Amino acid sequence: MNAIIEATIYGVFLMLLGLMWQERKLIWAISIIPACLSGYFFITSAAGTHEHEITARVFFILTQLLLATTIERKYASIVTKVLFIALLVGNIYEIKIHNNVPELLFNNMLRIEPSSLWFNLLMTGAAFIYIMLMNKDIQKVGNYVAEYFSLIFFILCGLYLLSSYNNLLMMFIGIEILSIPQYILAGSDKHNLKSSEASLKYFLMGAFSTGILLMGIALLYGAAHTFNIMEMVGMLHSNALDPLAITGILFIIIAFSFKVSAAPMHMWTPDVYDGAPTVFTAFMATVGKSAAFFAFIRLFHFSFYDLSEHWILIIACITCATLFIGNITAVFQQSIKRMLAYSSIAQAGFMLFALLAYRPMGMQSIIFYATAYSIATIGMFAVLVKVKDYTYDGFNGLAKKEPLLAFVATIFLFSLAGIPLTGGFMAKYFVLLGVMQHGDMLWLVLFALLMAAISVFYYFRVIMAMYFKQGSPEMNSQVTLYDKVMLLVTCLVVLLLGIVPQFFMLPG
Amino acid sequence: MDFYDILFWILSVMAVGCALGVVLSRNPIHSVIFLILTFFAISGHYLIMNAQFLAIVNIIVYAGAIMVLFLYILMLMNLNADAEPQKGLLVQIAGILSGGTLFLVLLAATKSAHNEEINKVSTNVGLITNLGKLLFTKYVLPFEISSVLFLTAMIGAIVIGKKEPQLKNGEEHIA
Repeated sequence: MNAIIEATIYGVFLMLLGLMWQERKLIWAISIIPACLSGYFFITSAAGTHEHEITARVFFILTQLLLATTIERKYASIVTKVLFIALLVGNIYEIKIHNNVPELLFNNMLRIEPSSLWFNLLMTGAAFIYIMLMNKDIQKVGNYVAEYFSLIFFILCGLYLLSSYNNLLMMFIGIEILSIPQYILAGSDKHNLKSSEASLKYFLMGAFSTGILLMGIALLYGAAHTFNIMEMVGMLHSNALDPLAITGILFIIIAFSFKVSAAPMHMWTPDVYDGAPTVFTAFMATVGKSAAFFAFIRLFHFSFYDLSEHWILIIACITCATLFIGNITAVFQQSIKRMLAYSSIAQAGFMLFALLAYRPMGMQSIIFYATAYSIATIGMFAVLVKVKDYTYDGFNGLAKKEPLLAFVATIFLFSLAGIPLTGGFMAKYFVLLGVMQHGDMLWLVLFALLMAAISVFYYFRVIMAMYFKQGSPEMNSQVTLYDKVMLLVTCLVVLLLGIVPQFFMLPG
Repeated sequence: MDFYDILFWILSVMAVGCALGVVLSRNPIHSVIFLILTFFAISGHYLIMNAQFLAIVNIIVYAGAIMVLFLYILMLMNLNADAEPQKGLLVQIAGILSGGTLFLVLLAATKSAHNEEINKVSTNVGLITNLGKLLFTKYVLPFEISSVLFLTAMIGAIVIGKKEPQLKNGEEHIA
């Protein structure tokens, strides 16, 4: 709960920061008022009243806040970094004080569990790495830097809601808070028509899928007479399931497949991820998608677990189609950015395995997979924004020009392909292991392994271009020492995920 | 068959008929007007169920604000019958097939759903007092947290709507 409040406050703060830039002189003038009031109350507090001292402090903080909004635009990224560190600390603190018992808040609206807190922490960590890697490039997208950062905080607020909702209403609001900032970020590059197209397409598709989700929720409510996902378990019985409930579950599957870009509802993904500014694609394809996945699995493993005979085959078919379409289409792409968009579809296929797994394993494996996938993809996008030409030829000879960039890109691609010693391997191992416990899903596991082998082809094409082809790639911006250190740290995290996975697993 | 039943049937026929009118009429303006009528019929249903607040909000927000917006957009867009995109036969067949399958599923679902007879008891759940109480006690978190949603939309309006100054010369632009 603290994390939700924290993320919201930081988002609002950054929003104010962005709004106030234009009116800097005015703010200077206005901030005199609380400063004077603070001084007045401080002087009168000498008389001994406790209330006056508190009021003085409040006004003092208000003055500071107003003055903080007048700082230079170029400090926006520093402010964001500081706020992110605070958010991380807040998340760690919340795990520390949590006593391993599910905690119900606000009339059963939220149910905070160890798994949700762990997911929050890891995703905040991934977002932190993202901010550290990309903040310079985010500032180049447009004029509204603080607004972009505040939208990122709001996405995290949606993520925290989705990881701990206990009520379908909260799930719906969480999904909306997660999606709407993403529509905006996709269209933030206003000088680029493709970005606007991506935003509009994403918005229309998203609104459509939200409509389907609401319809599903309404039907489920009709069958179960409750929005509470835990009470729903008692209301829905597998052997005499209300047809309304089945239809509702089907609609919810379709809506979530839209959100996580699973085939055949993946059509928007390549255009949106390709058209959106690269820095924001990196965030949408990783943290945004993982949050939707977590909500998906939370709902299905909490509420509909006992009804699995009714939906497991549908999910298996969707998984199969997603793996096939994602991997096969990625092979034919010429642009690395578009290839990564298709690869995110293919990875979504693997994440769907967590849905098919048995209960504790599914939650465990989705948290691990989401982390490994997010960090590797963020790293790969961070390399991508440095290079000017996004085609495979644009990467020719990168190893000679920027050896370190090529090296870390190789590690990230290894992780995405699932080569041992990287996080991607352990992640794939865990999701497939969870499904192997089902005896009758062996065909799907074998199919996934085949598709993983195909994915090696298109990931290695990038490595081939970097190491074995001649050329001099044009760079978008200088690769500074800071970038190199951050990329190495990210690379280290990817390797740690592969070597000591138990360190990142849910404790207990 | 008492007064409420008669009212229910009149409103239901009106709602379904107007909804069909929205889809079937060729002229978009007629579609919008049918949609307004549908909303009024649904508001009538709310009134029957003693949910006055919902009925009023439905009329103000949907029939009022959104529909006026719709009409404006339609008038600005200058839609003609000949500007309508032609759809191929294959697309039409595919549409009919997929839509029909969905319809069949829904029909099958409602057919085998057991219809509970609900006793007509007068409740005050839909009155504004009770709604407000519920909103600020049981559903306080969704109610409050939706402010984040609206804030996001506001930021979106600023980011997307406000004019961005032209880039300075020599400043690189990232695609």
